[in-house]
Amino acid sequence: MRLAILGAGPGGYVAAIKAAQLGAEVIVIEDDEVGGTCLNWGCIPTKTLIASSEVFLKAKELEQFGIDLKGEITPILAKIMARKNRVVSTQVKGIRGLLKSWGIALKEGHGVLTSAREINVNLKDGRREQIEADRIIIATGSRPARISAFPFDGEKIISSNEAVNLAEIPKSLLIIGAGAIGCEFACIYRELGAEVTMVETLPRAVATEDDEISDLLEKELKKKKIKLFTDSRVDRVDVRNDDVHAFLPDGQELVTEKVLVSIGRTMNSDKIGAEAIGIKRGKRGEILVNDRMETSIPGVYAVGDVIGGMMLAHVASKEGLVAVGNIMGTGEIMDYSVVPAAIFTSPEIASVGLREHQAVEKGIKIRIGRFPFRALGKAHAIGEISGLIKLIANASTDKIVGAHIIGPHASDLIHEYAVSMKNGLTVRDVSGTIHAHPTLSEGLMEAAEDVHGEAIHVPKK
Amino acid sequence: MKSYTSGKEETMNPDDLKYHKEHTWVKVSGKRGTIGITDYAQDALGDIVYIDLPETDISVEANSEISEIESTKATSSVISPVSGKIIKVNEELSESPEIINEDPYSKGWIAVVELENPDELDSLMDSSEYEKYTEEEQK
Repeated sequence: MRLAILGAGPGGYVAAIKAAQLGAEVIVIEDDEVGGTCLNWGCIPTKTLIASSEVFLKAKELEQFGIDLKGEITPILAKIMARKNRVVSTQVKGIRGLLKSWGIALKEGHGVLTSAREINVNLKDGRREQIEADRIIIATGSRPARISAFPFDGEKIISSNEAVNLAEIPKSLLIIGAGAIGCEFACIYRELGAEVTMVETLPRAVATEDDEISDLLEKELKKKKIKLFTDSRVDRVDVRNDDVHAFLPDGQELVTEKVLVSIGRTMNSDKIGAEAIGIKRGKRGEILVNDRMETSIPGVYAVGDVIGGMMLAHVASKEGLVAVGNIMGTGEIMDYSVVPAAIFTSPEIASVGLREHQAVEKGIKIRIGRFPFRALGKAHAIGEISGLIKLIANASTDKIVGAHIIGPHASDLIHEYAVSMKNGLTVRDVSGTIHAHPTLSEGLMEAAEDVHGEAIHVPKK
Repeated sequence: MKSYTSGKEETMNPDDLKYHKEHTWVKVSGKRGTIGITDYAQDALGDIVYIDLPETDISVEANSEISEIESTKATSSVISPVSGKIIKVNEELSESPEIINEDPYSKGWIAVVELENPDELDSLMDSSEYEKYTEEEQK
């Protein structure tokens, strides 16, 4: 089996390694850098920046922890970015090393499908190479969506790609779009000292999260003095001298140093020859696949952001594994019912399964358990007491239907519920398991207990 | 892990205020009423870490939420004892919400409203009634 993979992001490189492990000859084509958006522009850079902004935040609270620090604490963005670049390049080297160790050929350049079995690569060194394969996986990912009203200039009107590479902390920043990406950058730059304003067309920030969670995030944003306009929009932006003027429908004019546009992502399905060879695409440009990740052209598979759906790195990786499973004959079907997802705002948000309104719409009779972080001794010890754990259970089977967490380490905590859900454990299985004290995980047990009105550290209702 | 007792000396509830059963007070001066939470409320909440102050120029109805307070123990609604338009809020609380713990009846005031319906005051408790009420609640 000779497998060619277009794109070396978390969809492509994971598929490549898996296929090599199963004995395939694998060629990976990448026109930017291995690791894709996730490693070079998204997940890892932002989490590294958040690590810096959180250290800065904690440093400002040192006194509360009984530590006296003399002198000023100043974040230097150039140094923060240098650290970020080191973290990214270490990971890039790691992936390159992995690919090499599995004997995977990496072709650096832009690949275009010329048939269902051929890819023409325009190599970075100027040469061209025609690659033939028995099977192809398209894993070309996505890029920040651009609309003509907000033309990126990379300087005053920027996308997330520039936001992870700024030279200086802007004095003020307007963020158009209060989804996951917008809210993460809002927290990073606010904590580093920028005045941050957000404008969102939907009625809530992180509108795809459970209502209660996004309400709580809005409150946390307010505490940070991040201004949020929901149910609104920016009609127009004007760059004048050193400022950007943005106009809202009610006549308000917002003046900021920079504008970050985070209104979604566009699939990279347009410059890879997909249309020319007849691969069917959806309305938004997403490549259509079946539950085995195969496109409308037999033998050509697609995974990750380029197929739309849940545009998450770990989903892309799983889709890559499923595609390889089907290519190598082990057979597998992609199951999206248990996908943990995290948003790295401060505090963090994490979820798995259905939102409350989705469960109700599906006609499931539900029972909800809630537990606030401020009722945990550990939360007080670490000085992070804001947040809530919300567990939604099927009232008749007691199985977990969905779980939503906003609070410290939410992105790590969610997995206990995800494993429970995936394996059909009941809420009582979770609450009946001893959880170590003092930990944040105790909150997961208490929320499970609360589903049945049995939580210990909640006052009588 | 949780404790609702406090070693603090009990503060007397001032006589010139009117009290709401949701543990808020209003001090009337002419057509204006200043609103805050009672000593009993701040003591029950424990250390206050955040207050979501209302905006000025909005109208609030008696018995509805005017603000939200977060303490180390709980998140709690502040219920307005009276109806009216909010004309002033205590901005100092956004930086130092602990003022409410320290001085709930004076420096810890939350908002001033222009009273819409002074008759509402008749349905509120005076200090001795409120004292009896909180004694009942504690039982």
